[in-house]
Amino acid sequence: MPIAEPSQLMTRFVATVPGRIAARLVVIGALLAFWQFAPGKALRFWMSGPVDIVARLWSWILDGSLWEHLGATLTAMTLGYGIGTAVGISLGLVFGFLPKLHRVLSPYIAALYAMPKIALAPLFIIVFGIGIESRVALVAITVFFLILNSTLDGVRNVDRDLTQALSLMGATRSEVIRKVLLPAALPWIFTGMRISVRYAFTNTLLAELISANMGIGFLIEYYSGMFDATGTYAAILVLVIMSVGLTEVLSWVERTMARGHGRA
Amino acid sequence: MPPSDPGTMAKLRLVGASKRFAVHDGELEALRPVDLIVQPQEFVALVGPSGCGKSTILNLAAGLLRPTDGMVFYDDQPVTTINRSVGYMTQKDTLLPWRNAADNIRIALELKCRAMPRDEAALRVAQIIELIGLKGFERHFPAQLSGGMRKRVALARTLIYEPETLLMDEPFGALDAQLKLLLLDQLQNLTMLRRMTVMFVTHDLGEAITLADRVIVFSARPGRIRTIRSIDLPRPRDVFKVRFTSEFARLHEELWDVLKDEVVMGTDV
Amino acid sequence: MASQQISAENGIPVVVWQIGVGIGFLAAWEAVGHTASGEWTSRPLLIGQRLLQWFSGPLYPHLATTAIEVVAGLLVGVLSGSVAGLLLGRSPVLAVVLRPIIVAFYSVPLVALAPLFIMFFGLDILPKLILVSIVVFFLMFFNTFAGAGQVDADQIAAIRLMGATSRENFLKLVVPACMVWIIGGIRIALPFALVAATTGEMLAARRGIGFLLSDAANQFDMTGLYAALVILMLLGLAVSEAAARMERRLLRWRDATE
Repeated sequence: MPIAEPSQLMTRFVATVPGRIAARLVVIGALLAFWQFAPGKALRFWMSGPVDIVARLWSWILDGSLWEHLGATLTAMTLGYGIGTAVGISLGLVFGFLPKLHRVLSPYIAALYAMPKIALAPLFIIVFGIGIESRVALVAITVFFLILNSTLDGVRNVDRDLTQALSLMGATRSEVIRKVLLPAALPWIFTGMRISVRYAFTNTLLAELISANMGIGFLIEYYSGMFDATGTYAAILVLVIMSVGLTEVLSWVERTMARGHGRA
Repeated sequence: MPPSDPGTMAKLRLVGASKRFAVHDGELEALRPVDLIVQPQEFVALVGPSGCGKSTILNLAAGLLRPTDGMVFYDDQPVTTINRSVGYMTQKDTLLPWRNAADNIRIALELKCRAMPRDEAALRVAQIIELIGLKGFERHFPAQLSGGMRKRVALARTLIYEPETLLMDEPFGALDAQLKLLLLDQLQNLTMLRRMTVMFVTHDLGEAITLADRVIVFSARPGRIRTIRSIDLPRPRDVFKVRFTSEFARLHEELWDVLKDEVVMGTDV
Repeated sequence: MASQQISAENGIPVVVWQIGVGIGFLAAWEAVGHTASGEWTSRPLLIGQRLLQWFSGPLYPHLATTAIEVVAGLLVGVLSGSVAGLLLGRSPVLAVVLRPIIVAFYSVPLVALAPLFIMFFGLDILPKLILVSIVVFFLMFFNTFAGAGQVDADQIAAIRLMGATSRENFLKLVVPACMVWIIGGIRIALPFALVAATTGEMLAARRGIGFLLSDAANQFDMTGLYAALVILMLLGLAVSEAAARMERRLLRWRDATE
């Protein structure tokens, strides 16, 4: 049963793509104008203004510092993600094959999973120092738990009959893992990998906030510590652009994978 | 009960009513211009292959859609907004999952437009629960009820505010045969008792002949009326046994001939 | 081919294994703690001692601070986020126009803005409260906004045919339908609230469990650090359990039984 069709002018305007974009530009433009011109002298200290912020960002681009920090954040994130995923999938498959081991360890895993991972940052800094290793370790542990859970979900959903059928045919343990367990669990693993990217990003930034000498998170902490509002906002702007970019990349990956899947 | 008095005002009248939708690559003609009259207290069945526009006719009658061309009249008034004199029951039961059966049934009576005091509403709900056979399940949530039970709740919910006209879009489609017959029987009783006008869409020709005063057969998309046939079987009909009478068989054969061609054409598309 | 249940009856029950593993781990830890690298790892006995000492008094102000930040921030965030989501979600015009802007905001890890609030509001409870509120607000807003726009069109049509006004449609259909999203949102928001509060405390604070943690770290007080981690683990578990229980109670009607 469809609902009666809408008939207001606004709705029709917004239904067109150019209409929509125009409306959004108006909203954003109004906000930016307000930000730039409304605050008085006192507020200006805390709020800065769009023009100053962009100018600062531009200076970072010119002197190259932006790329250094960006690189640091992305490197830490990617390394941590890679390690966490690899270990997570491996351990997940092992647990899948040895469910009793998993059952014994699961309350401990659950307890560790519930803890805010950021709390491990000071420990890692003491152990690894202030360099990139501590951040990589934090991201790796965060991702590890998520991927482990997803892999376990996937493995649990594999029909026992399938693995038994292959074993009866004479497959070795590693063959069963490779030919049945892993492929069948892939959808769940991929879902976990998708979700973990967000968490990897967030935790990289948080680790940089807590203690670092490089990275976008570090920039936010540094400038706010110096009460430099413009610098802080400029770093946040980079953060926003990164976040949106990341979301777009993820969506694109999803769409490409969905297409590949559909064709198969 | 088909009235024979020609001076009676028609309950529902479609005059050259058609419906077209704009889709991304052009236009979809859901209903070709159609003329249709439903008399008061008449039970009309619309039969035809999928996509022929039967549901669109119901939506036009309910005021959920406006016709692209032509006009729709209810009680000789043009239908311009949502038609509150009708009850509408679809194949998908739109029960509210967070309310139990009794509360789901009661919801129409809670609305301001009815201004019904709470104890009267409670009484009515209890009565219809008894009538429809839901006693004992009042406090169950939809997730806890079987498909047939949910259908009964949906039917009760539609009937409780006593609309004078009932629109039904393949309401019993997903149920097993026995349950379907039971509900058809109850539907016949209730609509006769309350002297309701019914427009019943189905793809099951047997169902249509069992209940209707008139059966209208539609062609494949885009739909036009192929045949209108009065069903002269005496009322009240024994829903369980009528299908074994020779009269029924004759009607079924006659109408199936028409319908069969349309179904085949529909599947070739 | 029958699927075999791997039962615990062949051999020792699982619980015994679990306790065994736990004790074994602690024993190994204790042993390592007595060696040269014991400085980094501390020892379970020492940690236990510190915890006891904390629980006898000094812990509670810190616990209270963190709890207030989480709970108050949740209340503010949930209320404002769900109301905003409900109202905006029902306006198709606003929904379409604001959608990409909101999605952009949603993708930003808001907890990373903690230093900003600390810069504005200082060291005490207020900046963390605001941070938690904002993090929760956006989570709830997005969830509710999405839910409000996805109310079943057939149900809307059905209730309008019965004669419901727009207001009745909103109150009787949209709001309850969104409760699923709202409760789901709260379930997600709870752990995030804890993370936000902890991060804020670790960055700059005078009280709170996160403060205890970073304070211990700054002084290389490993025992204190591990003790604080244990507390945080317990807090994390409490929060997850609370979230799960709340969802079970409020969404009882979802369980299909017959």
